[in-house]
Amino acid sequence: MPVDRERVEQFLFREAQLMDEHRFDEWLALWSEPALYWVPSNRDDLDPAREVSLIYDDWVRLQLRIARLKSGFAHAQEPRSRMRRLISNIEIEDVGDWEIVTHSNFLLAELRRGKQDLFAGRTTHRLRPENGSFKLISKKVLLVNNDEPIDNLTFLI
Amino acid sequence: MLSRNGLDYESLVKEDRVHISVYTNPAIFTDEMDKIFHRGWVYVGHRGEIPNPGDFRLKRIGRQPVIMVRDQQGEVHLLLNRCRHRGATVCQREQGNTRSFRCMYHGWTYLLNGDLGGVPSMDGYGEGFKREDLGLVKVPRVGEHRGFIFASLSPAGIALDAHLGRAKEEIDLFAGMSNADEVEVVSGVHKYSYQGNWKLAAENSMDGYHPSIVHASFAQALMDKITHVPTPEQQRVDRNFAAFRGNAKDLGNGHVMLDYRMRIYDPLNGDPAPEVRAVTPEGEARLNNLDRRFGADRAANMLREGGTHTFIFPNLILIGVQMRVLQPLSVDRTEVCLYPTLLKWLAPEVNAIRLRSHEAFFGSASFGGPDDSEIFERVQDGCAVELEPWQLMSRGLHRERHEDGMIVGDLSDETTQRGIWRQWKKIMMQGEVAARSMRKRGAGAVAIKRG
Ligand code: FES
Ligand SMILES: [Fe+2]
Repeated sequence: MPVDRERVEQFLFREAQLMDEHRFDEWLALWSEPALYWVPSNRDDLDPAREVSLIYDDWVRLQLRIARLKSGFAHAQEPRSRMRRLISNIEIEDVGDWEIVTHSNFLLAELRRGKQDLFAGRTTHRLRPENGSFKLISKKVLLVNNDEPIDNLTFLI
Repeated sequence: MLSRNGLDYESLVKEDRVHISVYTNPAIFTDEMDKIFHRGWVYVGHRGEIPNPGDFRLKRIGRQPVIMVRDQQGEVHLLLNRCRHRGATVCQREQGNTRSFRCMYHGWTYLLNGDLGGVPSMDGYGEGFKREDLGLVKVPRVGEHRGFIFASLSPAGIALDAHLGRAKEEIDLFAGMSNADEVEVVSGVHKYSYQGNWKLAAENSMDGYHPSIVHASFAQALMDKITHVPTPEQQRVDRNFAAFRGNAKDLGNGHVMLDYRMRIYDPLNGDPAPEVRAVTPEGEARLNNLDRRFGADRAANMLREGGTHTFIFPNLILIGVQMRVLQPLSVDRTEVCLYPTLLKWLAPEVNAIRLRSHEAFFGSASFGGPDDSEIFERVQDGCAVELEPWQLMSRGLHRERHEDGMIVGDLSDETTQRGIWRQWKKIMMQGEVAARSMRKRGAGAVAIKRG
């Protein structure tokens, strides 16, 4: 299948907006089993069976993460982060009919409790074409600062 | 009685309350660095962080930067990270492997044991130059228990063994009775900081009163998991934090623990919990030992999710599978490092589930820890209210009991906080002379650079 770059961009931009605006259910609806939402800790390449990650959510933990964020008891998001992020440098790897891999950079401004932080990184998305758009199968986020103290990463990245 | 800098610790710390200035006064912070962190025993790191000859890690004892390094013979050295020439740090990387430490100002080079090796253009120095006197300064006292390395910058004082006392047994359980080299501490670090005093994290780590409130969302996640994974194993997970039973214990010397027998940590993922099995004969023996002492279920949980819940005064916390180290940066800023551990003798899938259990509750993006940090910042903000400057620590005072030479309270009682404060006060009120001499040598500014 020829990859339609505009559709891929639309998907990534939409995902970014849903994360920025805490539209949790809509974000979760982008996903499909088997899911892996992965943010490595300390370095980009690691063996998750031997090294710790910041986020290593399978399908179940992903559902629970969203339920927690919606619960009203996730104090680290009370007050909530205000966020806007830019998605750029999008590269598309055409893997086959059933899956597309994309790499993109992001720059996120996050404001909470009077403190504004910048997060930057590179994300790999695995997407499955479905009904003219895509489903998200896995997402791996390589944070520039994954070896530095990160005070609060309880929003969607 | 006023201490020399006019701080009246006797009236700031009462049996049932503490004054907020202990969290906000920069002069008290400076005094703490001198008396607690620069004179007493502090936890530095674990042998398992530097498994190979030449491995090093940068650490800090109070404010002072220290290199923890393993030499070719396997001996661990703690060297102050400061060139003996004109004082540049000789090691810049947080961790790595090296054959020597070279100062990149004028090129003096130090061996792994700290001895001064090469000095460029030696002809510039006369006969009085004694190379053997100019090695990196070694931390005066270093002690070890099961690979846990503690240090004191004071040449004299209580022995480590006496300082640790009953806490040693909890270290043993944390390590699953493994020997020092069977504990692996190479799984990365979770690091975060918060805008608040370091003692807020110490108190909270041993607070059995807060989980049902602060961690309501985690309790809910445990409950919700069963709708996704309705297995009998999952049915057994304890869910009602408020109904938890157990004891808060004061082990002495400021070491305190929460003693409970329920499962809390859970990977919150879809896979069934792996059977706990050993892959070495030694591991088999350790597993049998724990089975006999605690029963198979509890032993398995201890190995999958953690074997103790203990604070070792002043900066080490053992919870779940992690060693947690408190690094005070200034009176209202603290950095925290979490080191998840693996056990060499456990099957790989069990070690993996240790990491997943850890990640679910701990770390900057987890379901638990960030909510605690948020509360620390709220408490620090609350310290601005001076009209009523006390924090109550009286919970359970009326029902405390003495058992086996320990003060024991209900799981949700502030027995643990009182134990920490008792030691804090004892140390802060003593040792004026030594603290003064430390200050004369220049203890520096109040805040230190992170990292
Ligand atoms: S300061 Fe280190 S060699 Fe001069
Ligand atoms: Fe907590």
